[in-house]
Amino acid sequence: MNKAMAQIKGLIGEGHVVDSVAEMAKFLRGNGKPLAVVFPGSTAEVSGLVKLANELNLKIAVGGQVVESKGLDGGLALVLSRMNKILEIDHANLVATVEPGILHAAFVTKMEEEGLNFPPEPFAVETGSVGGCFAIGDTDSKAFQYMPTRTYLLGYEMVLPTGEVLDIGNKCIKNVSGYDLIHFAVGSRGTLGIFTKLLIKLLPPPEVKYAVLADFASIHKASIAFTTLIKRNIHPTRLNLINATLAKNTFPATEGNLVMVDLEGFKASTELLAEEISSVFKLAGAKNIRIVTNADEYVKIWRAWLSLRGELNTQDVERILDINVGPMKMPPALKALEEITGDLAGYPGIVLEGLLGHIRMLLPTAAEKNQLAGKVNALAMSFGGNVSGVLGSRLVCEAYNDAEMWQGITSLINQIRKQFDPKGILAPGASL
Amino acid sequence: MISHNVLDQLKAIVGEKNVFADTISVSSYSYDATMLSGTAMATVFPVTTEQTVHLVKYLDSVNIPLVPRGAGTNLSGGTIPMENSVVVNFSRMTKILEIDTENFVAVVEPGLVNFDFQVELEKYGFYYPPDPASYKATTLGGNLGECSGGPRCFKYGVTRDYVLGLEVVLPDGQIIQTGGRNFRSEPGFDLTRILVGSEGTLGFITKIFLRILPKPAAKKTMLAIYNEVEDASQTVADIVAAGIVPTTLEMMDNILINTAEDATGAGLPRDAGALLIIEIDGHEVDMDAQVEIIAEICKKARVREFKIARTVAEVDQLWLARRVVIGSVARRRPSYSLQDVTVPRSMFPSAVKEIVKVRKDYNLDIGILAHAGDGNFHPLVLFDQRNKDEVERVHAVEKHICTMALALGGTVSGEHGIGLLKKHFIEMEFSATAMESFKKIKSAFDPNHRFNPGKIM
Repeated sequence: MNKAMAQIKGLIGEGHVVDSVAEMAKFLRGNGKPLAVVFPGSTAEVSGLVKLANELNLKIAVGGQVVESKGLDGGLALVLSRMNKILEIDHANLVATVEPGILHAAFVTKMEEEGLNFPPEPFAVETGSVGGCFAIGDTDSKAFQYMPTRTYLLGYEMVLPTGEVLDIGNKCIKNVSGYDLIHFAVGSRGTLGIFTKLLIKLLPPPEVKYAVLADFASIHKASIAFTTLIKRNIHPTRLNLINATLAKNTFPATEGNLVMVDLEGFKASTELLAEEISSVFKLAGAKNIRIVTNADEYVKIWRAWLSLRGELNTQDVERILDINVGPMKMPPALKALEEITGDLAGYPGIVLEGLLGHIRMLLPTAAEKNQLAGKVNALAMSFGGNVSGVLGSRLVCEAYNDAEMWQGITSLINQIRKQFDPKGILAPGASL
Repeated sequence: MISHNVLDQLKAIVGEKNVFADTISVSSYSYDATMLSGTAMATVFPVTTEQTVHLVKYLDSVNIPLVPRGAGTNLSGGTIPMENSVVVNFSRMTKILEIDTENFVAVVEPGLVNFDFQVELEKYGFYYPPDPASYKATTLGGNLGECSGGPRCFKYGVTRDYVLGLEVVLPDGQIIQTGGRNFRSEPGFDLTRILVGSEGTLGFITKIFLRILPKPAAKKTMLAIYNEVEDASQTVADIVAAGIVPTTLEMMDNILINTAEDATGAGLPRDAGALLIIEIDGHEVDMDAQVEIIAEICKKARVREFKIARTVAEVDQLWLARRVVIGSVARRRPSYSLQDVTVPRSMFPSAVKEIVKVRKDYNLDIGILAHAGDGNFHPLVLFDQRNKDEVERVHAVEKHICTMALALGGTVSGEHGIGLLKKHFIEMEFSATAMESFKKIKSAFDPNHRFNPGKIM
């Protein structure tokens, strides 16, 4: 063990290795007990560590600020916070090259200062990194307009599980050469390799950003109002709701459930849409409808949304159950859900993303997750959806009684993992 | 030659009327839109997923490779069969299984023609953004195989961005479903994305879940004519810099203006250096301001004529030349070679300059057609296949253009795929590690190289 530590320190310098249990805890999530938390500063150092891990048969997990320690006993937790530079901002091609450890929220702010737009929402405002953003490959509440996170990756440099460096992609927004390893890697949760550079697609900024807020006594009425907007071909940037319980903490002045609409676009149409949306909400019985055009206030509102999102994604993750149904199926799905959960407004947490048909439940306790998941999945399937994530895939296969298909997908995924990571070094805690 | 035994088995799987092994039929499916060809043993038309599974399992048991095919409109040689293979033609699986406009999803079979799908969606006021030039004939399965683009990509993205999920038959005969009906349905590895653009080398797609969108409320089509091609490329750069994202920025140079004019008599000025077709869409009230900015930018770039279509008929008129242009070159020379290189936008003017220079250096007619907004070029090299010396120069030019695109930080394929045609350029684009990674992907899906062997790598 001491020999391994000596080699690691030799590779990246003693000052960049932490091995006391107390000190390590600051950088770890979960109960795993890694040998050390290490802070590599370059692609070469990451590659060196991965090669060493292959030699010594050590597991490796990676994070921007915090690392998942599940399955990492005796292994290495790589924190990429030192690799946090923006290497290039290319205005003519609307792309940026960054290192993976840069904080997602800081990157968004920097791009705004540069007159550029990076739409994906951070997974967690405080800790989420750009590398993590693509490793997770989320779909956020802006995806109807801006598409999922995946579509913003044009290329990357990655240290593969065997230590080689893979460099792929270019600044072209159209590129179909070879297999699409670029987008394939998004969402692979560190199993395919470790991002060391990312080439990111950006957009020109919208002319204006407005918000429309409204208080709804009934979640059902709000959800019906959402479908009214969709029927009228009104697709705001975000069309979200947080239930009364969550709103009380985030926006204490709210009476009941809070609807949060984001409008990013040209001034002329945005002004019209804000008015139209307000009228629809008014007819639906909403109170305190306000159109927010002030930039500072707009920023404050969405920062609060992102903090809530981050909390649910990290601190409360064990109590979260996500389902997706067709956006127009939300009202009947919520009615049916209420039969399982009881009053939705008073439930520990309900978040809706109206354009994506996404319903997020914060369960009373983690213990209820397994109990509820099957039931909720059956409900979602009856409205053309399912529970999201790996759990959802398994539940869908179970519902179809299709063990063969589940086995087909898992064996294919295992084959791919084995091809790239024959010793099973990377991301031991990730299940795909 | 195919043995009677194999033929009987194929007929037993898909039915007598869905198997062809005579010379005429086999040669009918031996080519695509490239100049390559190859002769398979037979062509079979499965009409269900189950038949596809049976075909895959049976042909595996007798060690015969399978080559998937749709309408054969691809420009990469991706569907060229090899000897001793069986062509699996999906063009009889044409059903639209579901159009769910309320939830922005359509479910279709792979043989459905892109245009037929658009016509059906139009009835609901919806559309499917990817619109390859061959959309009247090309199948959606084929579009997925090559990850096709089209003029609208600049704003809306390519095929891969509209695929929500797939049903796929793997080389071992397993059926898997990837993704689903919404963006969030694919956890972990994005299997959907690796399959799209894999040219049937990893799996055969038997069902497709697509994202569909309501048609934009308003659209404006503009035509800008320039004396110099450089001024057209300056316009492109300035429009993007102004923060405007048009759906379309199509460019044609003098040679192509002339061939198109020969074909259509639409009244384009034959002495113009280049033209741009510019289209924007969105909310009605946002249109005029954008048109004004674009008009201003064009003026600054010394535009000689700037037209805005006022009616649907005028829009069609502006598009006419662009739609016929590739076919129109046949009046000038009997053959053409079409490249698909793409460069970063900022390199667009440099690439134009280089192609103009190549035209002189190699003494060949090269028309420049480009999806200018995304830096995607389709240089059309005109020649006569019977002239050996000319053919050699054409190959030299192809290589020259690909090398140039890579040197400018681009790619050899923006939307056509690699197939057989660009296979020998792919190692110029990718490092040994990347090529090795491609092989790992292929090995994980198709360790025995049963599906469309020899394509891409």
